[in-house]
Amino acid sequence: MSKRNRPRRASLIGWLGSKQVAPWIFLAPTLAFAVVFFLLPLVYAFYISFTKWDSLTPPKWVGLDNYKYILTVDPVFWKTFGNTLYFAFGSIALGVPLAVGLAYAFSKSRWQGLWRSIYWLPMITNVVAVAYIWYFVLDDRFGLMNRTLGLFGLGAPGWLTNPKIAMTSVILIFVWMQLGQNMLLFSAGLSDIDESYYEAARLDGASEGQVFFKITLPLLMPTTLFVLITNFIAGLSYFALMLALSDGTGGPMRSTTVTGLYMYQVAFSDLRIGRASAMAYVLAAVILVITLAQLRLFRRGGVEAY
Amino acid sequence: MSVSWKKGSFAAVLAASTALTSATWAQDVKTITIATHYNEEQMAPLTECFRAYETGHPGIKIVFQQAAYGDFLQTILTSRVGGTSPDIYNIYSIWAPQLAAAGTLATPPAEIQDWIKGAYGAGTVGAATINGTLWGIPTELSVYDLIYNKKLLAAAGFNAPPKTWDELHDMAAKITKKNDQGVIETAGYVYGPTVSNAVHVFYSQMYAAGVSPYTEDGKGTNFTSPEAIKILERQAALFSDGITSNTNVVDDMAGGKAGMAIMANWNKSDFVSAFGDEFENTIGVAPVPNDGGAPGTMLYSFFWAVDSTSKAQAESWELLKWLDTPQDGKPLSCTGDMLNKLGALSGNISDLAAMDVKDSFTVPFVEAVQSGAAKSQPNTWQASENERTLRGYIEQVWAGTMSAPDAMAAADAEITAVLAEQP
Repeated sequence: MSKRNRPRRASLIGWLGSKQVAPWIFLAPTLAFAVVFFLLPLVYAFYISFTKWDSLTPPKWVGLDNYKYILTVDPVFWKTFGNTLYFAFGSIALGVPLAVGLAYAFSKSRWQGLWRSIYWLPMITNVVAVAYIWYFVLDDRFGLMNRTLGLFGLGAPGWLTNPKIAMTSVILIFVWMQLGQNMLLFSAGLSDIDESYYEAARLDGASEGQVFFKITLPLLMPTTLFVLITNFIAGLSYFALMLALSDGTGGPMRSTTVTGLYMYQVAFSDLRIGRASAMAYVLAAVILVITLAQLRLFRRGGVEAY
Repeated sequence: MSVSWKKGSFAAVLAASTALTSATWAQDVKTITIATHYNEEQMAPLTECFRAYETGHPGIKIVFQQAAYGDFLQTILTSRVGGTSPDIYNIYSIWAPQLAAAGTLATPPAEIQDWIKGAYGAGTVGAATINGTLWGIPTELSVYDLIYNKKLLAAAGFNAPPKTWDELHDMAAKITKKNDQGVIETAGYVYGPTVSNAVHVFYSQMYAAGVSPYTEDGKGTNFTSPEAIKILERQAALFSDGITSNTNVVDDMAGGKAGMAIMANWNKSDFVSAFGDEFENTIGVAPVPNDGGAPGTMLYSFFWAVDSTSKAQAESWELLKWLDTPQDGKPLSCTGDMLNKLGALSGNISDLAAMDVKDSFTVPFVEAVQSGAAKSQPNTWQASENERTLRGYIEQVWAGTMSAPDAMAAADAEITAVLAEQP
């Protein structure tokens, strides 16, 4: 190497090690991963949503046709959309208060770790195994649930075969699955609340109910916001449990077909990748609107805490 | 010349000759990849034949790829996108229109087409034909008939299966038993949760009534025909009269908890496992009930197809013909032998004649194929999507939330719009 090149190399190394460049070098692998596996698919799916594509032949530009069909013609899409909202709202309405209540109760009890571990178990169980177990528990004729009801002289609901209650059954199973995770998050939130607030309230003569509603719940708002947003996003795009519980059909009578499952059928069974991509974007738009509404709704005490 | 130079030269010559030999071998040996939904165990007879073929054809290497039935179409798509398509597929006939329209499939050479037309029954050749073009060699046939539990029928006072749907309704009502909670424990007749559990049964009944589900040009349906409406209303009556429900499914037949169902012959192995020595004394098969007239039903088929991008097309067709022709004086071809061991039926005329199909369960299915009573499931455009749509409307009629004429009019409108997309 000539002596003249040495300063040039030294200045290159110095530039690479500078504060402006070095962080980007370290971030490069992660950024490249995000671009290849998140950004490019997102952009490509957006382009595909304006085409007719079966993945075997080149995509054909159709403009807004896919969106028009989904929003104005397809009789199934809106039904699945309703099912999706029912599932997302239902699992939150039932699951979140239950998780708060249990986390609060266990924060006052002995063997907290044991209780948390027990409630966490469904989270580490494979969803197919969960579906399989509940399939047998809720079987109309021979299931544990209906046999138990029979002992008390009660009727036998078609938990998974009656289209009017099948989705409610799915919600109950999902709440059972998710309870441990939400409870852990609320437990962490509860442990962050300074004990002095409780002591001051009790000194002022506040009852246990007042302490819970006036101190615990407001101070849990950041955790509640996080749980609500993540649960909503998960709920609106979730379909694994429905797929496993209904043999992949989303039945009976499409009562457990959520938009995610319908999208999967349209893409990989009907080979309408363009239409499925458009559905994905419609669903993403809905998730965005609901998330923004939640952020707005919980601005005080929630967003401001972050 | 030094020793080290000599060693080096020897090594170089050895390396070069090895490389040349490998290159020559790589040039001479063609690999043919075969993808099927059968697992390794089911494929064993065919795998044995692959090895025998390789011995007789030193330039050919055969590789087997398994893809689950539910993922098979996606596997084809992914492999095409990735440029790693198998050379030969065993595909379900209703996938063929889209695959053919997309240029995925290669047409068989003229001599292979002539051989197929001579060696296979007309109904099965139809299953591999789209708009007059033959796309492959038929393999496994699945035929629908009425399957009934002889013991449950006898316990209800019947010693013969129903011939008409009215008879079926009355017999099923007498077989049905409810538990103390009002749930049907033993159903007289059963359907099931899958698309085919409703749609294939509906098609079978339409053929039994003498009406094809689709118009001859494949661009329209006959769902609004009086026959189709009547079939659906009679199905719905089984639900409204408490003879069946969503709880009671075709799997109950093997559990001895269902009297009758229209099912395909491939369920035989389940019945044999469930009833053992009592199989033939328990399970009976009869033509699909109709209102008189000639019997009719539906069959569907898989067929061997060759990928249009395969670099070994000629060799693939040659291999397939070899696999589907009896070798060394054996009564069955390799494919026929595999299907026979699975308890399935073959579309190959000589295989079907040589198969072990003389038991009371299989004979009616074979008769339906040989007599031409069993018609091929129509290879219509977007068949999977259309059948899912149809199942949705059929379920609404079963549940009483839609009348049969309204449901069939809606199904007809939706499906006709999809059929119009066919290029």
